[in-house]
Amino acid sequence: MVESAKPVPPIWCPGCGDFGVLAAVKKAALEIKIPPHDLVLVGGIGCSGSIHNFLEINGIHALHGRLLAQAVGVKLANPALTVVAAGGDGDGYAIGMGHFIHSFKKNVSIVYIAMNNETYGLTKGQPSPTSQIGFEGNIERPFDAILTALSIPAPNLIARTFSGDPKTMIQVLTEALRFTREGRGYAFIEDLSPCVTYNDTYKLWREKVLDVSKVEGYDPSDRKAMFRICLETMEAGRIPIGVMHRPKETTVEGLETKLLNGAAGPARSDISLEPNRAAYQKLLAALS
Amino acid sequence: MTTPAAKPAPIPADSEPGANRRAPSLTDVCVMIGGQGGDGTLTVSDLLGRYFRKRGLYVYTSRNVLSRIRGGHADASVRGSRDPIAAVKPDVDVLVAFDEQAVEIGRSELAPHGYILYDSTSFKSEVPNATGFPFATLVGGALGQPIFKNTAAYGALSVVFGFDPVGTRAVIEERFKRRGGEALEKNLKALEIGRKAASEVPGLADRYRIADGDAHDFIMTTGNQAVALGFVVGGGRFFAGYPITPATEIMEYLQQYLPPLHGVVRQAEDELAAVNMIIGAAYAGARVMTSTSGPGLSLMTEGIGHAGAAEIPIVVADCARVGPSTGQPTRHEQSDLSHLANLGHGEYPRFILAPGTPEDCFDITIEALNLAERWRLPVLLLLDQALCQNNTTSRRFDLTKASVDRGARLSGEQVAALTQYKAYAFSETGRSAYAPPGTPGVWAEITGNEHDEWGHVSVNPVNRVRMMKKRMEKMVRARDELPAGHLFGPPEAKVGLIGYGSTFGPIREAQAILAARGTATRFFQPRTLYPVPAHELDPFLKSVDVAYVVEHNYTGQFARLIRETVPWHHAKIRSITKYDGSNFRAPQIIAEIPEVA
Repeated sequence: MVESAKPVPPIWCPGCGDFGVLAAVKKAALEIKIPPHDLVLVGGIGCSGSIHNFLEINGIHALHGRLLAQAVGVKLANPALTVVAAGGDGDGYAIGMGHFIHSFKKNVSIVYIAMNNETYGLTKGQPSPTSQIGFEGNIERPFDAILTALSIPAPNLIARTFSGDPKTMIQVLTEALRFTREGRGYAFIEDLSPCVTYNDTYKLWREKVLDVSKVEGYDPSDRKAMFRICLETMEAGRIPIGVMHRPKETTVEGLETKLLNGAAGPARSDISLEPNRAAYQKLLAALS
Repeated sequence: MTTPAAKPAPIPADSEPGANRRAPSLTDVCVMIGGQGGDGTLTVSDLLGRYFRKRGLYVYTSRNVLSRIRGGHADASVRGSRDPIAAVKPDVDVLVAFDEQAVEIGRSELAPHGYILYDSTSFKSEVPNATGFPFATLVGGALGQPIFKNTAAYGALSVVFGFDPVGTRAVIEERFKRRGGEALEKNLKALEIGRKAASEVPGLADRYRIADGDAHDFIMTTGNQAVALGFVVGGGRFFAGYPITPATEIMEYLQQYLPPLHGVVRQAEDELAAVNMIIGAAYAGARVMTSTSGPGLSLMTEGIGHAGAAEIPIVVADCARVGPSTGQPTRHEQSDLSHLANLGHGEYPRFILAPGTPEDCFDITIEALNLAERWRLPVLLLLDQALCQNNTTSRRFDLTKASVDRGARLSGEQVAALTQYKAYAFSETGRSAYAPPGTPGVWAEITGNEHDEWGHVSVNPVNRVRMMKKRMEKMVRARDELPAGHLFGPPEAKVGLIGYGSTFGPIREAQAILAARGTATRFFQPRTLYPVPAHELDPFLKSVDVAYVVEHNYTGQFARLIRETVPWHHAKIRSITKYDGSNFRAPQIIAEIPEVA
């Protein structure tokens, strides 16, 4: 057995919602039996983005906001890897917003967990894109990632979980990992993960979350119905959680499958000269 | 003919004995074609280039287009020469103008013996040595579509230069055979319309003749195409980019070349995504590249620094254009070097490589991929608009010189023999072996934060110093592996010239002109710009009394870097700069050298 990097103790404050995500990743990976060398965790910048340091897997610490671009690169280069990107709401919805929107239309088979605590915790509590009006002087309206995700017509798996409900989180994450491992496309999970130091919303969110699967007319394959359910839930002052979109067909829609069509991928190709010489000669001979 | 022909001007005496005395045989000819964007100036340039090649001439084309799809002044020039050339000819022999503005712009570059053919459909020119043909009217009347006027102009040119009719026609067939049918047929008709019109003007036929050359086993290509092919042959299998002039063609060529080899090309949502996608793919173990220009490079700066800190092998091609900001997107400059040398906040190692010709682009791109993986760092290819886009004759790319060296990459068996796998292990060589994710039995942390050998975040000052040295010393340790520069001219010459990228062509031509006058010069063409090759510059500068650094920017960026690197030669170093958006003509360089001018 070769000795590899060992996990380090989490840097998070006791009670941080991110512990819930860490536990869920461990349980789900164990449940599906993903070997550590095949699992890649791409971390963002912020408290949540350090999650890869606390697991015995491949971790890459991306730049602030760029974790999705890097995660897409990893998966397209080696589609056999299970790729999870994990970061915070500032990372994903502010500095990384361009990549966030495009992640849905790209539909690469990776899991993205955005840990939303409605604040920038690591820099000590500034308002984030999801902060409520009035939080630390915030006068901008909060951004809603689920409504945004639903607005992009792509066969993604979309869900919201709550760190105060670990059972559902493990269940959803297990489904998301399976979904991406089957090459079905992109899985986005927003986890409500309270910051106990700068924005302790545990109690408030526990009261406000509403499991949408219990709402009449719930059908995650019906984008229109889910949009309506989410909007109505929000208008009623509650926070919708659960699986928000799940494509009806079990087709393999992941971009990596479309691009590579069963080939091993750029990272595992034999790029030595000999096996490719004939192809190269043909390319060069076409020049005139 | 509706426009009366102007009386042809006197023609210089023929230099070749036995030739038609009325037709001087040009061994170096340049035709400029100007008009509005969409007039098809590039097509005429392409057709002429093809014909020149049939005659065994070396060809160099350049273009001057605006950053818009249609309209606005655009011109193209094509040069054919019996000698190897890689630069724009200092003057134009024949100008083809589709509008009045093109006459005015082109006239300033016309040789004293030069001549102008213009489309008189909408204006009449009073300039001497010009004949107007209503190309658009003639073609529009016969074919119903005036757009074929450019092929008619090519037809008129073929008469003026006395091209053989079979070869002239064959060029049209080559160019349009793929589109076939109507396009080919109409172009052939337009050709004949142009030929007939020119033949009817007394004294115009065979006004010039072009000499035959012996450059037969050559291809026509651009630096951008060569970089794309070098990437493929060097094992590159993942490319992400964002469209930007003058880099876009690299992505477009790779969209053709890579999918059949199961490679991936993605057009990203912006340059931030492009560089981070290749970082992810390189981390996963693929050979990667992105290409961009000024504004895109600014955005990629963040990601390139990350690759430097996290030791991720990436190649970034910078196809430099006029800056700063949006600058002049379609024009030529070399003003990114200072930025590349200092790219990003903090300090990290990088290699900046600068090929001078398309053939060199091919070789250096392959080497860049090897160096990036061997040393686990970003390698920057510094190109420029002229090198990237000017279509030119080139020797065939040489596959036998190519090699793929995966450097520090660990195989599964090598990993199994280890007791520990540390992605950032300290070693004698300064390089750490790497096992990409998916290698059975091992995993690692990869990060742009300062880290220890395992990749764990570390603020330990002793570790920080060791890690900084490990990374920064790559630039010293790799010295002998970096592409060596080339020297041209006799070693005893006392006037030195230094230039990189596309200045290679005009500098070589300036040397040839000076040599013909009996003045020897010595030219050092560095192919690695950073780390600045002191070991090459020092002996070169010792051997000369004065060295002119020829570059396309205002501040003399490379001259400054050289002075900083070999300060004891400070007094010998002079700058020749040009930053008007066009590339050097050989006489412009000579005029700046008081010792020889």
